Amino acid sequence: MGGWPVLSVITWAPFVGAVLIMFTARHRPLLVRGIAVASTGLALLAALAIYATYDREAAGFQFYEEIPLVPPLGIKYQVGVDGMSLLMVLLTAIIIFAGSFASWTVKERSQEFYALLLVLVTGVFGVFVSLDLFILFLFYEIAVLPMYLLIGIWGSSGEIRPQGIFGWAMRRTGVGTKEYAAMKLTLYLLFGSAFILVGILALYVAGGSSSFSFLEMELADFPPGLQSWVFLAFYVGFGILAGIWPLHTWSPDGHASAPTAVSMLHAGVLMKLGAYGVVRLGMGLLSDGTQQWAWLVGSIACVNIVYGALSAMAQTDLKYVIAYSSVSHMGVVMLGAATLTENGLNGSVFQMFAHGIMTGLFFALVGLVYEKAHSREIFKMAGFGRMMPGIATAFTIGGLSSLGLPATAGFVAEFLSFLGAWQSAYPMWLFPGVLGAFLTSIYVLRVAKQIFWGPPSPDPHFHDLPDAEGPEWAALAILVFCLVLFGVVPGIALGPVDTATVPLLIRLGVLR
Amino acid sequence: MLEAGLGVLMIVIFFVGVWSRGEDRRRVGVIGAAGLVVLFGVAWRSEPGVALFGGSFVQDELAIFAKRLFLLATVIGVAGSLGLRAPTFARRATEYYLAILASLLGMLVLASARDLVLLFVAFELMSIPLYYLAGFLKRDEMAVEAALKFFLVGTVSSAVLVYGFSFLYGIAGTTDLRGIAAALQGGHPLMGLGMILALGGLGFKIAAFPFHMWVPDTYEAASTPFVAWLSVAPKAAGFIVIFRLYLEGVGDRAILWVPLAAGLATVTIIAGNLMAIPQQNVKRLLAYSGIAHIGYMLVGFAAVSADGVAMMLFYLVAYLFGNMGAFLVVEAVAQSEGSDSIAAYRGLAQRSPVLALSMLLFLLSLGGIPFVAGFWAKLYVFWAAAEQGLYWLVLVGAVLTVVALFYYLLVAKRMYIDAPEKSAPVVVTPFLTLSIFLCVVGVVGMGLYPKPLVMAALRAAAPLF
Repeated sequence: MGGWPVLSVITWAPFVGAVLIMFTARHRPLLVRGIAVASTGLALLAALAIYATYDREAAGFQFYEEIPLVPPLGIKYQVGVDGMSLLMVLLTAIIIFAGSFASWTVKERSQEFYALLLVLVTGVFGVFVSLDLFILFLFYEIAVLPMYLLIGIWGSSGEIRPQGIFGWAMRRTGVGTKEYAAMKLTLYLLFGSAFILVGILALYVAGGSSSFSFLEMELADFPPGLQSWVFLAFYVGFGILAGIWPLHTWSPDGHASAPTAVSMLHAGVLMKLGAYGVVRLGMGLLSDGTQQWAWLVGSIACVNIVYGALSAMAQTDLKYVIAYSSVSHMGVVMLGAATLTENGLNGSVFQMFAHGIMTGLFFALVGLVYEKAHSREIFKMAGFGRMMPGIATAFTIGGLSSLGLPATAGFVAEFLSFLGAWQSAYPMWLFPGVLGAFLTSIYVLRVAKQIFWGPPSPDPHFHDLPDAEGPEWAALAILVFCLVLFGVVPGIALGPVDTATVPLLIRLGVLR
Repeated sequence: MLEAGLGVLMIVIFFVGVWSRGEDRRRVGVIGAAGLVVLFGVAWRSEPGVALFGGSFVQDELAIFAKRLFLLATVIGVAGSLGLRAPTFARRATEYYLAILASLLGMLVLASARDLVLLFVAFELMSIPLYYLAGFLKRDEMAVEAALKFFLVGTVSSAVLVYGFSFLYGIAGTTDLRGIAAALQGGHPLMGLGMILALGGLGFKIAAFPFHMWVPDTYEAASTPFVAWLSVAPKAAGFIVIFRLYLEGVGDRAILWVPLAAGLATVTIIAGNLMAIPQQNVKRLLAYSGIAHIGYMLVGFAAVSADGVAMMLFYLVAYLFGNMGAFLVVEAVAQSEGSDSIAAYRGLAQRSPVLALSMLLFLLSLGGIPFVAGFWAKLYVFWAAAEQGLYWLVLVGAVLTVVALFYYLLVAKRMYIDAPEKSAPVVVTPFLTLSIFLCVVGVVGMGLYPKPLVMAALRAAAPLF
């Protein structure tokens, strides 16, 4: 790969695709999809290539590129990947490639839809590969903003209207509508970015106002008082995106209202971006702050796991079930990170990947079901397994991974995280974690039984529904394949991840 | 000399206006705009020069930067005004443009003034035509009310300002600002009182909370291109006075102003943003959001450093393009729809995609989103404040940016998400198109390549410390 700016190719290929779509493919829907698949396919191929050629012995940041942008302020376009970001780049590439197929049926203004989606992905790739905190922040904003239009224009409003004593107030504020969800999501995430910006500026000034580079800040020794509050700022800022309780409420609303590909990308990748930010910036730069606040991060993660699972059990809207299960699973990610053990941190990163694929699969399936049956209400639908065996099978495999069945990616991730929790300074964290896995099996199996495997619904509206067709199969096949592959041979992911987590733990003073 | 050139231009306009026949005197506006472009070119090439009148009139880097800014704002404002359609503007065009230029003359002198008396005279020369212009539609009750409110508040603030100046003169024994800066080192309590009173008076001019109440009414009633200019140029002039009075030559004692400026910035940001939320009229919304922007600029003042001043100057330019552009789009929509309400923007993206995209860019710039000017502006003032250790102020500012984005996005939602009620595109007059285009170029250009302007702002701010 010597000499090739391969990370820039991955990052900017979707952006070029977006520009091409806007300028060449007006009123030609097939060309729009062709460009989208080609540009994300290129990114996926490049991501697979760097995944294969990443030097697992050398570790550290590889495929490094640097271009000075604003020399007086020390802003550089500086990209590189280590084992952790490598896996995240691969995840993003898989999800967006599958997502381009999953949204094949978008009809209204599909040109703008695909263009915005590809711009969004550029932002996500950019955050994962940036080593300059300032550029990272810019990419973060690119990843957040198109979401407003994507949900606001192409989203769907929930069919279940709020009831009960809060029903009136909720109807007044438009809870459950796509406009409400779009605004809520955007404001929450921008609120988080305000904290991130303050944190980055504080580190920049404390480091002598000369560089935003992660590599240089890693060498600096920040005073403990500064570390303490900057860590909290990063934790709140990125944590909102990772869905930490009690700042998670944007996530169910947003994910339930978003169109299929956006839900896939947002729940599958963007929430990981939050967790990645906490681990990379918070833990990677602020070792004292991490030691000081690990108890808080872990405890809130436990709340996330149990609270998210309980909320998912109470939902009657299929998309909300999946959205709350994301909140629960992101708790596992944060819990693994907070354990500050090698197993826990590996489990955390692995869970980011596993949950990304799993949730991407779930949202793709929910989108398909909604498109065929025009319903998201769990208790109206029944017995779809006979009519759409492919979708039913994929849902069941995803569900089994979600509840942590061995031989799926979800098992490896949860096992490692819980093992880490038991080895950490707070072994009791294990119990809420395992309780969450138990509750997950309840709500997943309940949904699978009701919608797919139970007796058929008497409603004639739900008879004779088609299975997935054409490009939709591509999306499902890719995701199910990854889920099983990484469950059976987790070593292909854990190898590179270990090269990133061990140096991090050495820096934190946990390992020697 | 710019001021002399402007004087000549005013005389030319006056005689052309007097000798024109017929009801339509809009050609004087064209002459005015052309003359301003020439003057802007002269300002672009002017170099720092000697001080005149015993040092009370200086031509330093700050003065030149400020003059370029005033001229640029006036060029855009006048070009935007050329598209005004009401017959009053055609018949009384001479008065309209003369008043704008008179006010501009006040600003130009103000930028160079380093003497209390000259400062105050220039200030009044700037302000009085503004009162007149606010009430230009004299048969419109709302305009008269707005002009009266503006006038009363403005004169009271001038009185407060002069009252403050009297203390300064009384203690320092001189009207020269260098002498006052030197006297401030003595730490006399009445000196502090004078400075605080003057800041109150200036607070009215820049419309900082709690001195802001004239803003929404005046903006709503006055003609929109004038408001676009009013929302930028006089505010910038107010800030130049603040620099001269509070920072130039004051040295370490400037640290005195940190709590004052930071407090003023905090309340202004919070109040402006919160009051903008319920607005249904775009002009009122922009008025309140403008108040919030003044708060963000005060963050740069609170940093009391050369960086802070420079970043504030940068912010002013970003605000010039973003805010004037937004107001000019409002004018374009109002001419076509006859309404300033947010509801008039329904489905604009499908009716006039280019106009809607321009508005979106302006709103994103005002909201501080990357790749348009406003982002760098906010980032730079925050950076200046962070250097001073004011992290809490940065946090307040950054969090309130989210509130601002909420109401900007409400407008964006109308334009992009809602379906249009009719399909005919909005008709925009050529002059208005031109001035909106200038603003778009400014917003995007500064967003993509901010470096030259940052360097210019840093050069302008350097002699103050």
